[in-house]
Amino acid sequence: MDPELSPDQRLLRETAERFIEASLPLAKLRELIEAGGEVDPAYRREAAEVGWFAFLAPESLGGGSVSDAGVLDTVVLAELRGRYLQPGSFIDTNLAVATLSREGSEEQQAKILPDLIAGEAAVAWAVADPSGDWSGPAGVHAQAVPGGYRLTGRKGLVVEAQSAQWLLLTANTPEGPTQFLLPVSTPGVGVEELRGLDLTRRLCEVHLDGAVVDGSAVLGRPGQAGAAVDAQIRLAAVLGAAESAGAMQYLFDLTLQYCKDRVAFGRPIGSFQAIKHQLADSSLALEMSHAVVTAAAQAVAAQDRGDQEAARAAHAASLANAFVSDAAIELAHNCWQHFGGISYTWEHDFHLYLRRLTVDAALYGSPTWHRERVCQLSGV
Amino acid sequence: MASETAFGRPDPDEPDLEEYRLRARQWLAANLQHREAGPAGVVRGGGTHSAEEYLPERALQRKIYEAGYAGINWPKEYGGQGLSDAHARAFAREAAPYRMPDLGHAGGTTYGPVSQTLLRHASPDFLARHVPRILAGEELFVQLFSEPDAGSDMAGITTRAVRDDEGSGWLITGSKVWTSGASYADYGLCLARTNWDAPKHRGLTWFAVPMRGKGMSIRPVREITGAAEFCQEFLDEVWVSDDEVIGEVDQGWTVAQTMLLVERGAGRDDPVNMPETDPAGIDPFLVDLVRAAGRAQDPVARQALARIHTADWARGQLGRRITGLLRTSDKPASGIASYWKLAAGVYNPQRARLMLEIGQGQPLVWRDDAGQRAALEYLNSRVWSIAGGSNEMQRNAISERVLGLPREPSFDRGRPFSEVQRSAREWLEKN
Repeated sequence: MDPELSPDQRLLRETAERFIEASLPLAKLRELIEAGGEVDPAYRREAAEVGWFAFLAPESLGGGSVSDAGVLDTVVLAELRGRYLQPGSFIDTNLAVATLSREGSEEQQAKILPDLIAGEAAVAWAVADPSGDWSGPAGVHAQAVPGGYRLTGRKGLVVEAQSAQWLLLTANTPEGPTQFLLPVSTPGVGVEELRGLDLTRRLCEVHLDGAVVDGSAVLGRPGQAGAAVDAQIRLAAVLGAAESAGAMQYLFDLTLQYCKDRVAFGRPIGSFQAIKHQLADSSLALEMSHAVVTAAAQAVAAQDRGDQEAARAAHAASLANAFVSDAAIELAHNCWQHFGGISYTWEHDFHLYLRRLTVDAALYGSPTWHRERVCQLSGV
Repeated sequence: MASETAFGRPDPDEPDLEEYRLRARQWLAANLQHREAGPAGVVRGGGTHSAEEYLPERALQRKIYEAGYAGINWPKEYGGQGLSDAHARAFAREAAPYRMPDLGHAGGTTYGPVSQTLLRHASPDFLARHVPRILAGEELFVQLFSEPDAGSDMAGITTRAVRDDEGSGWLITGSKVWTSGASYADYGLCLARTNWDAPKHRGLTWFAVPMRGKGMSIRPVREITGAAEFCQEFLDEVWVSDDEVIGEVDQGWTVAQTMLLVERGAGRDDPVNMPETDPAGIDPFLVDLVRAAGRAQDPVARQALARIHTADWARGQLGRRITGLLRTSDKPASGIASYWKLAAGVYNPQRARLMLEIGQGQPLVWRDDAGQRAALEYLNSRVWSIAGGSNEMQRNAISERVLGLPREPSFDRGRPFSEVQRSAREWLEKN
């Protein structure tokens, strides 16, 4: 656990962990996966009661956080969600809550935000194109029509869009990138649920076949969504890395215990240096991952204080995501090797973590994508 | 600098500290030269320096000592000021723009691991004799620790100390290596075997050995870079008085553990000692290198550049996390500190290889300094993978002390050291 957590944040962590253990522990998640089912909407509403979607909105809009910095509290939750492989739209809905609080119209803040905070509705963030370009408007074009816009194109790697009520979507317009918040039920919007590597969540492709929205669906100023998308990427990169760090910790602990218990050649396999040294390397990767998540969260929490802080936040978020994504896959593969044959069984939890970590590493920007972004941010 | 250790009094009230800071500022301004204005210190890493070259640096240390700014948080009875760690930090911050004494590697060793170890283990009489002279710049120490045949297996040293005929001291014989600053240091903190019938960790003793004593010869070791920064010492019955024994006879391993711990970074429990890592502060040397190679637009070079920056920044953040863990974790500090050391040992070589990749031909042949610097960093990149406990030793420490994994069965534990040596010889003959 992060040694820098405040007593209030520790309490938040305990409460959230109890909620997960009571409502959707791994065993129950497995039953859902086997049955091909989806988590009941009551899960989201109950999570909302513990504050899962409130931390990035100010109190004046019905939000509020445990510490003064909602980002840090959200990171505590993200880490736990990763640890227990929780499904559902968490990062995406929180991004929408943050964006609505920052630049939503009064109408949007009154009509949509309370539902999100209360867990009545979820948001899917449609930002990447199907090829994995996370820069924002890629894949969808918005054409001005009388009274609104017509949206055409495709977005990919959209998390849990099949159960979301709203789409937070960035599209190209002649004036520049524009964000829309529109109901998934809008005619001309199609959600294609794809089969995929991660069994704990669904990733979708969203098709926009000339869907028409009116002006009230525009979020922020038309043509000027660049800054909003950047802010979303920063937040998503940090929260995504936090989820991975949480999952890494659980998987590592599971593996460590196995290496202490499993006996071969008359000794626990964890007494062989070949195994111990790899575990030490994984442990280093894990500690560094926790460290960069904390640092990036603090940088993002401070981003509004000035230009220098904003630049630091942008760098830190991409650096953290690039680091953790690589570390996660490295760690998962080491664990894979330690588990040996049992890792190839469906019954063992290992593959659930491998799958989730591998998908998380690519979501919200692959390490390569974030490294290129760091070069651009640094003016290279 | 000398004062960044952690055994001072509890932190004082803020106003008290403010006044102290002000006085320090005035003294510094009146007595020391600014970094840029002052003459450069002795250049490090460029060969073995003579004792004479360090005389002006020692004089500067003496000036600071006499003004009461050396050993700020060290005990008063041994010439320190007996103030808090916060006082020491305050002075260090004020002094940052000034030219402080550059006592080279011996200085770093003396005021770092050696002093921390002595203050914890040496007798009051020993400390009263040596520490004031250390603070005054009159005594510089080096470590006589590693041997040609004992690196990672530090407890396997074979330098021997035997009682002299009069029974008032010891005669030390053997060889030590990888000593930095031996050419101008005054004392060596020397680990020697005093009991060959005890298991290897239980027959060791520490001595303060005069570096200019009879029977001591010092030779520079030319290194992989072509420079000679280190020395090898040959001790031929060097006499040391009983008064110069540190800790108990045969209990030297306890002392050694303190020193190893400090070296591995547990002494860096103060955030001012952590590298400042700005996520937006990509190393300008690398940016220049990628541009000079004409590869600023090459995606392969850009990825390599960002990989280095990512790891640099992550290591800095790891330092901060270790500080937190040392404060809150129930795991031993000796294990936690190993993360820091392992990170250096693993990432430095990676960094250097990526730098070579970025620079293409530049680090291979050069006219200017940039290529040479990259090449030197490459050659030096495995220093921390090997020195001060190899990567493998750090991995053992992490896996055993933090992760709770069992030790490998070993051939040398609990057996008399002389017997261990004999079986090792037999093994070599048989195979």
